[in-house]
Amino acid sequence: MTHGPHPAHFARTAPGPLASHPPRLSDPSHPPDPSRPPHPPRWPRALLATHTAAVYLFLYLPIAVLVAFSFNRARQTAAWEGFTLSWYGEMLRDERLLGAVRNSLLIAALATVFATVIGTMAALAFAPPGSRPQRGHRPTEVLLLLPVILPEVVLGAALLTLFGAWRMRLSLATVLIAHVVFSISYVALVVRARLAGLDPALAEAARDLGAGAWEVFRRVTLPLALPGIAAGALLVFTLSIDDYVVTSFVAGVGATTLPLHIYSLLKAGVTPEINAVSTALLTVTVALIAVAHRLLRHEPGSAG
Amino acid sequence: MAGEGAEQDGAATPRHRRTADCPSRPPGGGRGDGPAGAGRGAWQTGAGWGTLALALPAWLVLGSFFLLPLVLMLGVSGAERGIYGGLRPIADLAAYLRSGAFLASYRQSLQALYLGIAWRSLWMAALTTGLCLAIGFPAAYALALHVPRRRRGLLLGLVVVPLWTSFLIRTYAWMFILRSEGLLNHLLLSTGLASRPLPMLYTGGAVIAGLVYGELPFMILPLYAALERLDRTLLEAAADLGAGRAAVVRRVTVPLALPGLVAGVVLVFVPSLGQFVVSDLLGGAHTMLLGNLIQNQFAVARNQPFGAALAFELTAAVLLLLGAARAAGGSGKAARAAGAAGQAANEASASGQPPRGWELL
Amino acid sequence: MTGGRPRSRPAPARASRTGSAPRRQRPPDRPGGGDRRARPERRWLTVLAVLLALPVALACGGGPGDARGARRLNVYIWTNYLPAEVVSDFQRRSGIRVEVDTYSSNEALLEKLQSGVADYDLVVPSDYMLQVMVAQRLLRPLDRRRLPGFANLDPRLLDRKFDPGNRFSLPYLWGTTGIGYDRLKVSAPVDSWRALFDPRYAGRILMLDDMREAFGAALLLDGRSINERDPAALRRAADRLRAQKPLVRTYNSSEFASLLAAGDVDLAQGWNGELAKVVAQDRRRFAYVVPREGGTLWIDSLAVPATARHLDAAYAFLAYLLEPAVAARVVGGVRYASANRAARPLVDPAIRDDPAVYPPPAVLDRCELIEDLGALTPLLDQLWTEVKAH
Repeated sequence: MTHGPHPAHFARTAPGPLASHPPRLSDPSHPPDPSRPPHPPRWPRALLATHTAAVYLFLYLPIAVLVAFSFNRARQTAAWEGFTLSWYGEMLRDERLLGAVRNSLLIAALATVFATVIGTMAALAFAPPGSRPQRGHRPTEVLLLLPVILPEVVLGAALLTLFGAWRMRLSLATVLIAHVVFSISYVALVVRARLAGLDPALAEAARDLGAGAWEVFRRVTLPLALPGIAAGALLVFTLSIDDYVVTSFVAGVGATTLPLHIYSLLKAGVTPEINAVSTALLTVTVALIAVAHRLLRHEPGSAG
Repeated sequence: MAGEGAEQDGAATPRHRRTADCPSRPPGGGRGDGPAGAGRGAWQTGAGWGTLALALPAWLVLGSFFLLPLVLMLGVSGAERGIYGGLRPIADLAAYLRSGAFLASYRQSLQALYLGIAWRSLWMAALTTGLCLAIGFPAAYALALHVPRRRRGLLLGLVVVPLWTSFLIRTYAWMFILRSEGLLNHLLLSTGLASRPLPMLYTGGAVIAGLVYGELPFMILPLYAALERLDRTLLEAAADLGAGRAAVVRRVTVPLALPGLVAGVVLVFVPSLGQFVVSDLLGGAHTMLLGNLIQNQFAVARNQPFGAALAFELTAAVLLLLGAARAAGGSGKAARAAGAAGQAANEASASGQPPRGWELL
Repeated sequence: MTGGRPRSRPAPARASRTGSAPRRQRPPDRPGGGDRRARPERRWLTVLAVLLALPVALACGGGPGDARGARRLNVYIWTNYLPAEVVSDFQRRSGIRVEVDTYSSNEALLEKLQSGVADYDLVVPSDYMLQVMVAQRLLRPLDRRRLPGFANLDPRLLDRKFDPGNRFSLPYLWGTTGIGYDRLKVSAPVDSWRALFDPRYAGRILMLDDMREAFGAALLLDGRSINERDPAALRRAADRLRAQKPLVRTYNSSEFASLLAAGDVDLAQGWNGELAKVVAQDRRRFAYVVPREGGTLWIDSLAVPATARHLDAAYAFLAYLLEPAVAARVVGGVRYASANRAARPLVDPAIRDDPAVYPPPAVLDRCELIEDLGALTPLLDQLWTEVKAH
């Protein structure tokens, strides 16, 4: 475990990168020894470093600009006219905005619950850990991959066609259905990746010790799969909170989610309130990540 | 493990096809280090019916809200629009089918005008992908091979954080920067670099900038994942054997990075192809792409058959592309999920820690 | 399908050069393996639970007046067409919760109602679209007895061809379509649609993202009527619009006024009210004009969709909007002319005397109402799609 990447990595690259990623969720192999001095090939390092710095600048400058200008007093232009917090005040008084935030959180939470449960079940069904694929799983595999592959605009249009045919009134419920539909696959894929990397010996051991199927599932499989499930759930939450395209097709009256509201703000005119909304969202997001990082940081063995 | 290998070989052919199809299945699951093949079936929570029951909810939901809509839309794509929109009722289905009228929307989509849009969409997506690659590859390379390991987690996290922020807001940032009285023009004017505001928003360039900005992390992450596995000793060996700098990159780095490259290309290209929000917001309803055209047919032009036909053509294009990507040495069925899973996994393993959901996306 | 295989095969071989066999056997320290299983598991559960509980609590707890069974009203209306303070005042007075969604073209409204998925109780189609919707049986006849304020409406706007006897609609606001422009940046005075097709202004022109209005401008320039029915003339207009496209900065029906104000464009086709607001802010810099070739006169009417579920609320809101004081507040907020004649004395004189808002007869004389083109609609839809796709 002290040097070089695991040869298995190379073996794994065989059918393709994507195929090779998920197993690493639980990849036992360790990265190369941190103490080893970086020994880059003879590339023009300075150039590379500059480029990389520029890339980070490119990624963060637009965001930084938004944050900075959310405190700008000017309404129309990008000229700095002094510090103000009034846009935040306006934001907090904007009932439509707050309603949209509520809608988004509600949809995201419910979609996360439904999609995580259904997706995890599907993953357990067609990819029992360590098993090889069986012919019967093929249709399920395809079914679960399609929503991920399909362009969002196609999914949105298809769902609208369906709701139209059924004369279903668009509402929060239709948004929820749409979000669950495109989320199930993501959960299933992530959880399956996790399951695939588990050591079957553990289950066997449990069984040898007298555990029944349910007990094996509850006390071995589920706990081991949990990080994968949690990852899937988080993925769903973020996808749902941020989805505009599909939602724009299927959202009905009173079902304005945050992205829909932001879009209408963008369309309806230039107001620094959007900068304030952006900054608030960013802050919440980063804070959440930080808290989560903290919470999960000190797992035993994580230093390895 | 030897027995496992044998078992593997026995099943080689069908198995390989399967793994090639499916991104997140551990390829050659039992081959190298796998716990996989050893006691397969040991985890089965229930054979046969139990398995079926577990998959049932997914089938129910996706069957009624995914497959059924697609089938319906296929039907719609063969229908005719009514005068004011909607669908014209078909009196005699057999005669309708015989007349070939159900192909009208597909025929319409083959007009030069719409082929032009398809071409423009492909070109935009290709340009976006190319730029992401050109910008992302060196960065991923530096991250994977030059940055000390303990700082890598943070830097990689910084690539991921923008993906956590609202996509619309990231697009809006560019509107804010590029508009006539936006930040960039303000700077240009105040520094005297321009005498009058340059029109930047609502141009093709703005669309490309927005697309590259939005998709760049999806290029860097899989590239990093592939490069991170690259063993430096290989590079050294190549150099020792007399390979020049360019030769090392060309003959060692690139081939080994290829899977990550294909993944990145797919992850960037496919979403760019179906894009309509960026082209709407930054292109000012001026640069019409396939995604806009489809959305437009459903939202305003009230020509659902045409919109549906276009949607299926876009889907076909995406599937073809993924097939091509698989042929090019990457996995097909490349999907953000798989990519995201890979990212999480790789990021986690990069810091030597078990994977965490928080790093996902 | 298996194309990727041969290429990737060398990889393991190459790898084996550095790989060491024993490592394979290394007991994997997979997460959850061995001793570090129990605690992380609980932590995961906690995180998940908090994550899920938080938004649910927020979503449920945060909505005052959100109680189930509360009366509500779903309004689908043009962007910038209903001042927020009017809505909140109505909510306070009636206890009815109003949801407002917006659109920015008649066609989008038609699509929504036609698809059968909309859940709206009140919509605001323009003249010609009202006619289409009535013919398509998408609207519900109004009960005049429940609308005591009907007498407040301007008789000139009643009993029009698009809804004889006003069986289905009440006129709400009316106005014209013209050009708003930046006088400091546009050298010559603008009095013709030609300005929007003038290469001198390339990249500084905004057109409404609206099929009938865009065609209207092109047809008027050709000396035709907005309601031209000759397919050849329509095709020529489409050619004109295609040729114009490189000059157009953006097509936009919701933001045209603010883009003009922000300096992103110098000439904007648009509806008078919003442009009048911009002009009022800085009369030295901005102006609004209905070109000499003529323009569109439009009358937007309140109507109740056939599928409406909250009829009582809809009538309550209609009656509310018919009150002169309310109508005057609407005008104050949106700067469009109200169809409510009784409201006129209550309107802010600055708006009442603004020729951009209440146009003089000479201007009205050269304006025309858009009419439904019937069987030509698909052709026009098609031509417009082609213009946009060009």
